[in-house]
Amino acid sequence: MMTRLLHIRFWLPLLIVAGTLVLAPLFRSAQPPLQSYALALLLCCTAAISVYLFAVIAQPEKF
Amino acid sequence: MPTSTRVLFPRMPRGPRQERRYLERPRQQGLLQRAIVEAFRKLDPRLAVANPVMFVVWCGTVLCLALTIEPRLLDAAAGARERGFNALISLTLLATLLFANFAEALAEGRGKAQADALRRTQARTQARRQLPDGSIELVDSSALRRGDVVLVQGGDVIPADGEVIAGVASVDESAITGESAPVLKEAGSDVAGSVTGGTRILSDQLTLRISADPGKGFIDRMIALVEGAERSKTPNEIALTVLLAVLTQVFLIAVATLSPVAGFLQKPPSVVTLVALLVALIPTTIGGLLSAIGIAGMDRVAQFNVIATSGRAVEACGDVNTLVLDKTGTITLGNRLAEEFLPVGGYSSAELAVVAYGASCFDQTPEGRSIVRLAEKLGAALPFEPASASGIDFSARTRMSGSDSADGIEFRKGAVDAIKGFVRSRGGVVPDQLDQCFEQVSRLGGTPLAVCRGAELYGVIYLKDIIKPGIRERFDQLRRMGIRTVMLTGDNPITAGVIAREAGVDDFIAEATPEDKIAVIQQEQKLGKLVAMTGDGSNDAPALAQANVGVAMNSGTQAAKEAANMVDLDSDPTKLIDIVTIGKQLLITRGALTTFSIANDIAKYFAILPALFAGVGLQALNVMRLASPQSAILSAMVFNALIIPALVPLALKGVKFRPLSAEQLLRRNLLVYGAGGVVAPFIGIKLIDLAIGALRLI
Repeated sequence: MMTRLLHIRFWLPLLIVAGTLVLAPLFRSAQPPLQSYALALLLCCTAAISVYLFAVIAQPEKF
Repeated sequence: MPTSTRVLFPRMPRGPRQERRYLERPRQQGLLQRAIVEAFRKLDPRLAVANPVMFVVWCGTVLCLALTIEPRLLDAAAGARERGFNALISLTLLATLLFANFAEALAEGRGKAQADALRRTQARTQARRQLPDGSIELVDSSALRRGDVVLVQGGDVIPADGEVIAGVASVDESAITGESAPVLKEAGSDVAGSVTGGTRILSDQLTLRISADPGKGFIDRMIALVEGAERSKTPNEIALTVLLAVLTQVFLIAVATLSPVAGFLQKPPSVVTLVALLVALIPTTIGGLLSAIGIAGMDRVAQFNVIATSGRAVEACGDVNTLVLDKTGTITLGNRLAEEFLPVGGYSSAELAVVAYGASCFDQTPEGRSIVRLAEKLGAALPFEPASASGIDFSARTRMSGSDSADGIEFRKGAVDAIKGFVRSRGGVVPDQLDQCFEQVSRLGGTPLAVCRGAELYGVIYLKDIIKPGIRERFDQLRRMGIRTVMLTGDNPITAGVIAREAGVDDFIAEATPEDKIAVIQQEQKLGKLVAMTGDGSNDAPALAQANVGVAMNSGTQAAKEAANMVDLDSDPTKLIDIVTIGKQLLITRGALTTFSIANDIAKYFAILPALFAGVGLQALNVMRLASPQSAILSAMVFNALIIPALVPLALKGVKFRPLSAEQLLRRNLLVYGAGGVVAPFIGIKLIDLAIGALRLI
């Protein structure tokens, strides 16, 4: 169970969803709700990719 | 010492290379079909995540597909008419991914086809296992375990890898080597004493001790290797992966922050355009071809009938600074032949021939057999009854061999100083003339073998050594590439010096013992150099393990094969030079395509940036005069996709190898692939833009 909790596949989607919920209101003034959530999700996914790239740079042999 | 049994390669005369059928080229059609299927399968994100550059493209593709389905997903003001453009960009990105996957799958497919061919040799068979009480039981080959003793006879398939403990037989190894000529296997021989499961015994009978458990045999390991099951990234690949990830990270941050900047200019670009810019800027060409280049390098080694245990080994070849080479079989033709008898101490040639015959009658090396032939040609007869005499094997310590007759007479031949010592130890006198003969033969580049009968020294046998044709040119090439060659030989310093000079090696070590090999390697490695060597005997195993690239001969012992990181199925030590060339070619190809990929960015930048900021005064940057912003973006994306399959043949075949120094190679690389990488996209993107206009795609 602990191993599963520590696994990236478990917490990454949770983190992205949480980030989307937090960031969506920032776009609410300029966009309707659907677009606000989509933009927040895009921002979170971009950040996730950036973290992934840092992980590749730090531990390239694992990829 | 010249008559080393280690240089005996007990092969029958070989057929031409074309006859070999191992690693037969798989049918192109089957390969392509398999690669196409694999290209789609590799779209699985769990597989795509292994390649950072292509994973970013994968994410961009998913985003563009979503925006094709719903163009207003991210911007409520976006119009439905953008759907067509989004669809075209999505398709282009998907094609980029598929082309990159196809390149990798094509390279892997070759290995898998070779693995299939090898797997066919692994038919299960019945084995005759000998029980401790001497009785025989029939068992399935899969039931055999390491240490079991089995009997095989003419017509049988050898059930598992093993060491010959009794018998002499011809074995057909064509299943693994492609060599149609049978190979002699015999007990007690350092280089002919091991057999491989799956090969077939043609005649006689052998008793084998099984040396590998099921699934851990030589062919099993070969299958795993050529299939790429054990493929891990090489140090060079890792370094390049980091560089590509850094570039991707930089461009990701740059593109992500571009949107607010563009917003400030009241010209916010669409997300699809930003994705296109990102994909155009990140090094997709090398990102897509990187693993294919590595796999193809291993495949090229396999085409030479050499099995590399890892890509790391092949890559290490490219960085090798020093080659440690055995003289016999590598620099000179393996079989030295007796050319002349040079008597001393008042004996005649005929008398010397008789003693040489006596000293060589048990010597089954090509040298020994050639001495017997020359003696018989001179009319000599064996001076004792062979049935009652006993043979004395050559050893690296005594550096002599011979026979003892039933009446106690010792016939010996060997290194001149060893025989001198032997004669003196028996109370004999060494004639001064011996040194003259020794020098005379040595200065001809031949090997002098002294011959004695007890305490009487009879003379010298001149063993002629022939330098392989073209070897000097090969060494010249290696020197131009900055590789130093060191020749190791058991010969005396004068002979070694003559051969070294004629062959053009940089350095030599004469009268070398097996321990000298490892000492030379360690000494070079202390100077920070990478060393490659070949070996076949058990005594070579430590040096093979110590060397950065150790190539074991397939005819060699199990210990040598396990210590080495490559196995040459043809047992041809000269191939080390070819392998080094392939390693260099692998690194040069990777460097060339990286240069090309990064240089590509300039043209793509000039295509996409003016399009991105169309209407805010950046039109001056549209140096290619592309028709419209959308056409410019699409042209850059199409070029980005098409350049990958266009470079697949180069990635798989490798850049043409030229024996140049590192500086010359870098200059050439920058000129051809750097300048080419800048110019080619300008031309390509303009042509694609014209085609898009003509086809009215946008």
